[in-house]
Amino acid sequence: MLERHIQLLVTDDAGTEAPAATRDRLKVNFPAGATRRMTTLGLLVGSTLAPLEPSEDNPIVYASGYAESCALEAFLDSFPAPSPTLFQTSIHPSAVQQFMIGRQSPVREFLPLSGSTLLAFHAVRACMLSPAPRVILCGGEEKGTWLLQHGLASDRTFAFAASLGKGRADTSLGRIVIEASDGDAALGLPAFFDMLHKRTPFDGLVAPGWRLILEWR
Amino acid sequence: MPETPASIRIAAAGCVTPFGNASATHAALLRGECALHALPVRGREGGDAVPLALLPGRDLDETAPPSWMAAVGALVEGLPSGDWGTPSRPVFVTGSNFGVGGLYALRRTGDPAFGVWGAPPTCTEELRRALGWGPNVSILSLACVSAHLGLLEATRLIHAGLAEEALVLSFDFLSPFVTGGFHALKILNSGFPAPYREGATGAIGLGDGAAYAVLSRDRGDWRLEGQSVFNEMHHFTSNRADGSGFSKCLDSVAGSTRGRKVWFKGHGTGTLDAGRMELDAAAKAFPEAPVVGWKGSLGHTLGSCGLVEMAVAIESIRTGSAPGTIGAGGAAMGPGVALAHFPTGPFDGVVCASNAFGGAHACLLLSHA
Amino acid sequence: MPDPLLARLKQLIVETLHLEDIAPSDIPDDEPLVGGGLSLDSIDALELVVRLEKEFGIKISSSEEAKSALSSVGALASFIRQRADPSRIGA
Repeated sequence: MLERHIQLLVTDDAGTEAPAATRDRLKVNFPAGATRRMTTLGLLVGSTLAPLEPSEDNPIVYASGYAESCALEAFLDSFPAPSPTLFQTSIHPSAVQQFMIGRQSPVREFLPLSGSTLLAFHAVRACMLSPAPRVILCGGEEKGTWLLQHGLASDRTFAFAASLGKGRADTSLGRIVIEASDGDAALGLPAFFDMLHKRTPFDGLVAPGWRLILEWR
Repeated sequence: MPETPASIRIAAAGCVTPFGNASATHAALLRGECALHALPVRGREGGDAVPLALLPGRDLDETAPPSWMAAVGALVEGLPSGDWGTPSRPVFVTGSNFGVGGLYALRRTGDPAFGVWGAPPTCTEELRRALGWGPNVSILSLACVSAHLGLLEATRLIHAGLAEEALVLSFDFLSPFVTGGFHALKILNSGFPAPYREGATGAIGLGDGAAYAVLSRDRGDWRLEGQSVFNEMHHFTSNRADGSGFSKCLDSVAGSTRGRKVWFKGHGTGTLDAGRMELDAAAKAFPEAPVVGWKGSLGHTLGSCGLVEMAVAIESIRTGSAPGTIGAGGAAMGPGVALAHFPTGPFDGVVCASNAFGGAHACLLLSHA
Repeated sequence: MPDPLLARLKQLIVETLHLEDIAPSDIPDDEPLVGGGLSLDSIDALELVVRLEKEFGIKISSSEEAKSALSSVGALASFIRQRADPSRIGA
């Protein structure tokens, strides 16, 4: 059994909000002028990470299946004169980098994952395997446009960031456990986000041979 | 000092480059051959001629399924054992671009056959099915240090008792999406890369590459004695001017080399500032270690470079000869740059380093077990 | 007499880089574009290069050449006058 305690958690479900509205809502979280090159996902991930105040020795595990869909779309549409800014921001894991570079905040260990039905499990597992006392687990997606029509982008926009510690503290919000178990299942990132966002308890299979337990205080 | 994971054995490793497998690639590098050729940056759509190294018979332009699938299939055909992707034998797929060329082709043609290869999850799923792997396949992607992250996670999983062995596969094959992007950054231009050579301008080349490593707790002739990572988060395309990011990564492994002789396989893409900083950091962490870089021949194989070049380093130790730095003839940036090949026998191991966008750094210490 | 090329370049900079809250007239002629008061960096410089190449039909072939051409708006205007066809520069 591998266990960590949820010390801090920030979530943001942008729902049906238009990207421009998300930008207007979140740009107050960043210094003036800092958001002009940021993507929607970058603004969301950055806004959820900021209250956790990641330090250099807190590994960051970042999960996103489709990452910077809108920057990808725009970069592809910028040819034959490809935009260097869009090229840069379209590369996974740009959302976290947009925020951390804005803060000039180095981090020793940064583990960006992609995936689909097993992504949430793999990200949680990466947190459990880290020897660091405090690990930041974050992730999110941004809704695509023409990529979504081809089934190659998320149909939702959301982000989360959680600080996971090894020991339980009086202020812990809950705990997260993974343990070996018979059976097969999957858990995509949007469903995992919903559990965190709504503080829904969970106890079930999330990957072949693995069970996840999410408990809230 | 941060923890580096306990050592792990490499039971098997291999790569494919435009020269062929690891042995053929190593031999070509020893002969001083260059895989790069001046090719139009946007493939059949034309554009400036830039140095690219493509697998034989492969065009920059996409096909569906991708033309590189056969090469990946051939690479892993020789893998020891089976049951990859089962709970006890996980696979870590690492890379930067996956099949992103498929998105470029999709947007231009509207043909959905290209699309499924375009996103990392769907590309990896196609690969998994084609190679007959089970579902235990995770994807790690952090630009040009992706392969190192796969090795790190696989090491941790094995040492936690959650896997018997682990397969790390890394691949990156060029497309107009990627070449166009680097050309827009003005570092992929008409100049051919000359890693660690002083000059007024720098340039990179890009290359196709794929590689794998099978990690095991106690089986294999090679050992990863140390692994280190560090992320500057200073700027997307440049490093802190004091070079501290390079040092912070290398110093974690340097302790394991005290009293031992190592050589240094650098990242060395051909850009100037990063090349100088990397050399300075290597000289401080590993005094007297000869430095080599092979991207002047192979091009930068992006997300796969860490594993491709580790496979060549293994071949270097196995055969007793490390290829020198190709393309750096002239005034090298420092005395430590080895331009000619040299015997690896007198050395206890090699430190292999990679660096990436966002000021990401990674290195590993490789030795004979 | 104000230089129309300088004015055009300043407008182009604001538009291309989505500089909110900055008017073209706020951009000085001879201060560094990158690392100066506008907080622009090398990626901004490259984005400008793409736009300038399209707008004026010039070619900037390396990051080092971009750095030199974009050392200030004044330097950029001189660079364009040297490289571009006069018909692309206009009145």
